[in-house]
Amino acid sequence: MRRNAFAIVAGAIALAMLIGCSMVSQTDSVPPKHPEELPAGRVDCLECHEDVSTGALKPYASFRHSVVFIQQHAMYATQGQNLCSSCHAPAFCQTCHARKEELKPNVKMGDRPDRLLPHRGDYIVQHRLDGRLDPGSCFRCHGNKNDAKCRSCHR
Amino acid sequence: MRDARQGVAPRLLLGLCSAALLLLLPAVLPAPCRAADITLSSQTYLLFYEREVTGGEKNKYAPLYEYLSGDASLQYLHPTGNAEMRLGRFFFTEGVAAEILDGVFLKTTTPTGFGLSLYGGVPVEKSITSTDTGDSLYGGRVFFARKGFAEIGFTYLMEKGDFQGEDREILGGDLWVRPFTPVELLGRIAYNNATSGIAQQRYVLRLSPFTKLEVAVGYENYNYKDLFQTSLNSAFLSPPLDNNDEVQNVFAVVDYLIAEGLTMEVGVKSIRHDRDDPGDATRADLGFRYAYNDKKDVAGLSAAVVSADRDENEYQEVRGFATYTPGAWRFTLDALTHRYKEAISGIKDAYQVVGSAGWQVLPNLKVSGDLTYTRSPQFSKDFAGLIRASLDLGTTTGGN
Repeated sequence: MRRNAFAIVAGAIALAMLIGCSMVSQTDSVPPKHPEELPAGRVDCLECHEDVSTGALKPYASFRHSVVFIQQHAMYATQGQNLCSSCHAPAFCQTCHARKEELKPNVKMGDRPDRLLPHRGDYIVQHRLDGRLDPGSCFRCHGNKNDAKCRSCHR
Repeated sequence: MRDARQGVAPRLLLGLCSAALLLLLPAVLPAPCRAADITLSSQTYLLFYEREVTGGEKNKYAPLYEYLSGDASLQYLHPTGNAEMRLGRFFFTEGVAAEILDGVFLKTTTPTGFGLSLYGGVPVEKSITSTDTGDSLYGGRVFFARKGFAEIGFTYLMEKGDFQGEDREILGGDLWVRPFTPVELLGRIAYNNATSGIAQQRYVLRLSPFTKLEVAVGYENYNYKDLFQTSLNSAFLSPPLDNNDEVQNVFAVVDYLIAEGLTMEVGVKSIRHDRDDPGDATRADLGFRYAYNDKKDVAGLSAAVVSADRDENEYQEVRGFATYTPGAWRFTLDALTHRYKEAISGIKDAYQVVGSAGWQVLPNLKVSGDLTYTRSPQFSKDFAGLIRASLDLGTTTGGN
C-alpha cells in the first residue's frame, strides 16, 4: 500500500524532468518573500497593490485581511498557497492546522488575542454546544479516521 | 512532540528518496529555477496549572509540560508560473486536500492557463497520544485559471489505511469567479467516493461595494455519514448521534471600517438540522476592533448570542481584549465569558481571563509568559501558567 506513495514520488520526478521549465507559464511567480517588511496588524494589500497578483492570478483586493477574508481564507488557500507563503511562514498555518497537537491554538498563541484563534475559554465545556450544533466546523481538524482526541472521552 | 505514526522503515525509505531527489533536482531543473531555504521553526512551551474540579474533590495539580515542535521542508520555486516542488514535511492545501505530509508536492501552470499538481507521501498527525494515520496519501489537482477572472479546479485524494472501514477517497471541485470588480463567487464541493455521497458543499458570494465595506453571504451543506465517513467515528458513539443527520448553514458576515483603525464586524449564522436532536440554532455576532500604536496594537469588544430550539444549546458570549507593545515588549489582556441558558453540571456561567507579557529578545527569538484564570462548569477554579519560547530559523518565506 505504500507503493502508491513511492509511485507518486517517481511520478513527480518524471513530471519535473518531462515538463522542465519550458512548458511553465511565463507569468511571474509570487516572490517567496514579500520584498518589504510588512507593518504589524491585519494586512490591507490595497495600500500598495491595486492590480492583480501575477502569481495568485487574483486581485490583491481579494486578500485584504478583513474578517470576511479571514473566515473564508480556506477557499483561497486551496487554490494556491504561494501568495500566503510570501508573508506567512509554515508555522503560521500550523498554529491551527497542526492536526491534534496537544495545546489549543489560543494557548499556543495566548499573546495574540487579536487573532481569530479557535477554542478560547474552557473548550472542553464549550465544545459540547458548538460540536453538537455544527460538527462540520470541528471536522476540518478532528475529522474522520481514528481520532484519539475524540476517543479519549467518546468511548 | 513526537509523531505517533507506526512504521519507521517506510518513512526512512521515503526520507532517503527525498534526499536523493534534493541532490538530483539542481541537475534536473534549468538555471532560472531557484530554491528556497530549509524552513525550520521551533516553539517550546512550559505549562503548569492548578485546579479544583467542580462538585468534587479539591484536587490540585502542578505538572510541568514541555512541548517542542520542529518541521523541516525544502521548496524549489520557479520564477514563473508558480511552479514549485516541496520535499520533506510540509502542510499543503490543494482543492479538498489540507494535509501535513512527509512526501513530495509538485505544481505547475502552463501557458494555456491549465495547471496540474501532484502530491504523495505518508500523512502526519502530531499527537502525544497514539493517533493512527493512514499508511499513504496521494492525489492531485487539475485546474484552469484566467488571470483576474476565474479559477476552477478538480481534486482527487486517496488516503489508505486502517480506518475502521473504507479508505478515505475524496473527489472535489473548487471555484473562484470574479465576474466584475466588486463581486466574487467562491465554491467548493467534496464527494466521498467511499460512501458514494456528497460530503460537503459551500458557496460564498463576496461583495465589496465600497472600500470600507465588505459583505459575504454563504450557504453550506453537509451530512454526517458522508462527511464523517464512518458511523464508528468516536465522537458519534457517546453521546450517540444520528448518523443520517444533515446540516444546512446559511451565513452572512459584514466588515465595515467606521473610522481610521476602527472596524465593526457583524456575523449571522443559521444552522438547520434534519433531526430534532440537536435541533436548529442561530448565532449572531457583533464586534468592534480598534487598532492603534501604528497598528501594532489592537483592542476589541464583541458579543454573541446563540438562540436554539433546545435550551441546552443556547448561550451568550462576551469578550474583550487589548494589547500594548512598547518597543520590544508586549503585554496583552483577554477576557471571555459565557452564560448558558441551561446549567451545565449545575453551573450557568464560565469565565476566562488571560494576561500575557512577552519580550522580543532577537529578531527571530521571542519569549513570553501567560497567566490564565478559568472558572467553568468543569472547574470551580483553574490557574494556569505558560512560558513560551518561539524561534524561527532559516526561512526565505515570511516570518509571522
